[in-house]
Amino acid sequence: MKNLYFKSRLQIKALLCKNDIICDYYRALAEQVSKPLLQVPLMVVDLEMTGLNSQSDQILSIGLIPICNGLLEVAAAKEILVSIDGSVGDSATIHGIVDGQLAQAVSPEEAIEWFLTQTKGHLLVAHHAPLDLSFLKVLSHRTYGHAIQFMAIDTMALERKRLLRQHDVLKEGTLRLDACRRRYGLPVYAAHNATVDALACGELLLAQIAHIAGDDQLTLSELLN
Amino acid sequence: MDASEIQPIVQFFQGRVPFDSLDEQTLPRCCHALTIGYYSKASGFVPLDPDNPQLYIVRSGAFEVRDKSGELLDRLGEGDYFGFPSLLSGEEASTRVAILEDGLVYHLPPEIFDFLRRESREFDRFFNKAFAKRLRHQGRFKAKDLTTTSRVTTLMSSDPLIIDMKSSVAKACRLMRSARVSSVLVLDNHKLVGILTDRDLRNRVLAENLDGRLPVHQAMTPSPVSIESNSLVFEAMLLMSEHSINHLPVVDNGIAAGVVTSTDILRGQSSQPLLLIGEIERQQNLQSLIQVSKQIPLLLQNLISADARAEEIGRVLTSVTDALTRRLIVLNQQILGKPPMAFCWLAFGSQGRQDQAACSDQDNGLLLAHEPDEAAKGYFDALSHAVCKGLDECGYVYCPGDIMAQNPKWRMSLDKWQQVFDNWVRTPEPKALMHASIFFDMRSVYGPQSLFDSLQDSVLSQTKGNDIFLAAFTGNALTSAPPLGFFRKFVLERDGTEVKGIDLKHKGNALINDIARVYALSAGIKEVNTAKRIRALMEQNILNRKDALNLADAHEFIAHMRLSNQGLQYTQSLPISNYLMPQELSSLVRHQLRDAFKVVHDGQVGLKLKMMRSY
Repeated sequence: MKNLYFKSRLQIKALLCKNDIICDYYRALAEQVSKPLLQVPLMVVDLEMTGLNSQSDQILSIGLIPICNGLLEVAAAKEILVSIDGSVGDSATIHGIVDGQLAQAVSPEEAIEWFLTQTKGHLLVAHHAPLDLSFLKVLSHRTYGHAIQFMAIDTMALERKRLLRQHDVLKEGTLRLDACRRRYGLPVYAAHNATVDALACGELLLAQIAHIAGDDQLTLSELLN
Repeated sequence: MDASEIQPIVQFFQGRVPFDSLDEQTLPRCCHALTIGYYSKASGFVPLDPDNPQLYIVRSGAFEVRDKSGELLDRLGEGDYFGFPSLLSGEEASTRVAILEDGLVYHLPPEIFDFLRRESREFDRFFNKAFAKRLRHQGRFKAKDLTTTSRVTTLMSSDPLIIDMKSSVAKACRLMRSARVSSVLVLDNHKLVGILTDRDLRNRVLAENLDGRLPVHQAMTPSPVSIESNSLVFEAMLLMSEHSINHLPVVDNGIAAGVVTSTDILRGQSSQPLLLIGEIERQQNLQSLIQVSKQIPLLLQNLISADARAEEIGRVLTSVTDALTRRLIVLNQQILGKPPMAFCWLAFGSQGRQDQAACSDQDNGLLLAHEPDEAAKGYFDALSHAVCKGLDECGYVYCPGDIMAQNPKWRMSLDKWQQVFDNWVRTPEPKALMHASIFFDMRSVYGPQSLFDSLQDSVLSQTKGNDIFLAAFTGNALTSAPPLGFFRKFVLERDGTEVKGIDLKHKGNALINDIARVYALSAGIKEVNTAKRIRALMEQNILNRKDALNLADAHEFIAHMRLSNQGLQYTQSLPISNYLMPQELSSLVRHQLRDAFKVVHDGQVGLKLKMMRSY
């Protein structure tokens, strides 16, 4: 029943939206969310940014990897670099992206268009999703004059919910992607780029779903709240 | 999208057999084709889709493969594979994979699996069940000439004589005199800066009319030619002849580790088997034989470091033991006088099978041409005691089970021996057979062949085709089973228990010896060496060619692992044992050993089917 709620919410958003591209985007997702969870196409997304402020900082790269029928598809993983104003500066030490590489980068407008095409009809997945989504929202507003209300499963929120059932307070760092993965015995990945982090987040989601669901049917609403 | 973007996956596969055989372009291509799944213990089993077979690669978690009857086939951890038998055969999987611990699993689709098999012969061979084919292609069992392959470290004198460069030549000479060596390494601040040899003292000191107060650095050969300890002896010889020198400092990472001299190399060659046997035959008394026998452990180490075939090492070491035994018999006859009758010195067990290794004990007996009178009894009592004692002093310790010629129980006439075997064969008591099995691996080391043949022929004529005896003997051969394989740091037994290490002799080679022995006795084959028995069984079509080759390869491989493990123990000054710890094994060797265990298990199953059918 809850899935119908998501579907109708998306349909209303589509009706209210004046931009065709975005309207299509909402409708395509509405088609999918009423399906049983395992059949909903998922797209794990990870952004690398110059900072944490979606108003003043910029997107450096976007990594995507789909989950289809409960399996991560490495073959369909994709990554683009996004050109920025000014220099990568300090964040290069985190992301390993240097200015030279940004030569092959696309403009932010091309990037959001690419993103919408790639993720159309997919429910998004991200670790600490609100941050990534706020950057995409700002970019969509700048590009289309409409801030897209993205819908995403947040692996960090799932983990917080799970841990708060066992503990009153969570220590700092408990919810970081690596820390979450360690709790499920997932391998440590030394490298960090948008694709690897998307992969890491996707694997975490599979582990979380297995953990929450056991053998029972899991619904979308349990993951989206 | 390039490889760097999925580096963690590529890294996981690098160095992992058989993916390590893929080239730099192929491996990332293979990684890109993966899908990744997560399996939770709560769901019980990995759903294997018969219409879509995949190669499953365990990235984390633990899994267990069982056949339809529920028998454990394997337990899998990180880096292990499943699902490939149905990929290769195209048939539906006959196994179930249970999830023991939640885990991440990579799936490789069939078209990429087939592509990789075409790209890399090693990849193909790895997953192909033809085990014999795989082992034989390694090319690692080629016997090599000792001097060309043994390492400097086996010959050099470690703990070399050293002196500071500012010391006097006189002091250096006193050091050399008390250590009775002809060279000293010259150090400056622990770094090797030169070598001072007898020749330097002649050419740079005495001939120049200088005296002993001269500092060493003015007399030494500065920056001497040196070699690393893991270099080949052959390379050391080359260096010496190129530079016309007799002393070669051995330097590892700038630290002087030893010296190897031309004398060391000569001595090393004298521990070659033929020279050693020649030396044994020249010795005139027990004391000098004991001296010579001290070279035997070194001979073994040389053979191991030369990577000789395990079967050949066993035969070489046994021929040395045989020569030593014969020499002891001859020397003691010189003392005791001519024997009162013809006799054979019988070797049992490993000496009989010609597969002796480190720390063999003695298993022997005496076969007399006819019933001895009191005088003859006294003669053979004295002779056998002397020979057994001599063997003990030469390093072949007394048999703990007292199976020795000096024990009157195992010193008998032909008639009595025939009766003893007759008893074992006619009324095969399981417990008696367990102790008797080594007697069926007998060989005459000394004495008339015709006498030995009379005994062996009568034994074989009784065992050949004797179903009751063979069934009992088979039961005896199946009391122990090889492990299933490895799981993480442990050895996985067939009943699913995990143990720390594996006894390669008793859980490996001994089981193959048992199988070959039962078949050989069933067919009346005279050979006692396991490899020769297997060959004869193949020629007589008692074992099919594939099974025979597999068994022979597994025997060689396990024996090789056992010897190289003992070589390692020797160089690390650890006690020599048959125990192998799986942590020290590469992923390739783990897979190979697992395959070898599988061959042993199949051999046991086949033996049981053939010999115990009607029971």
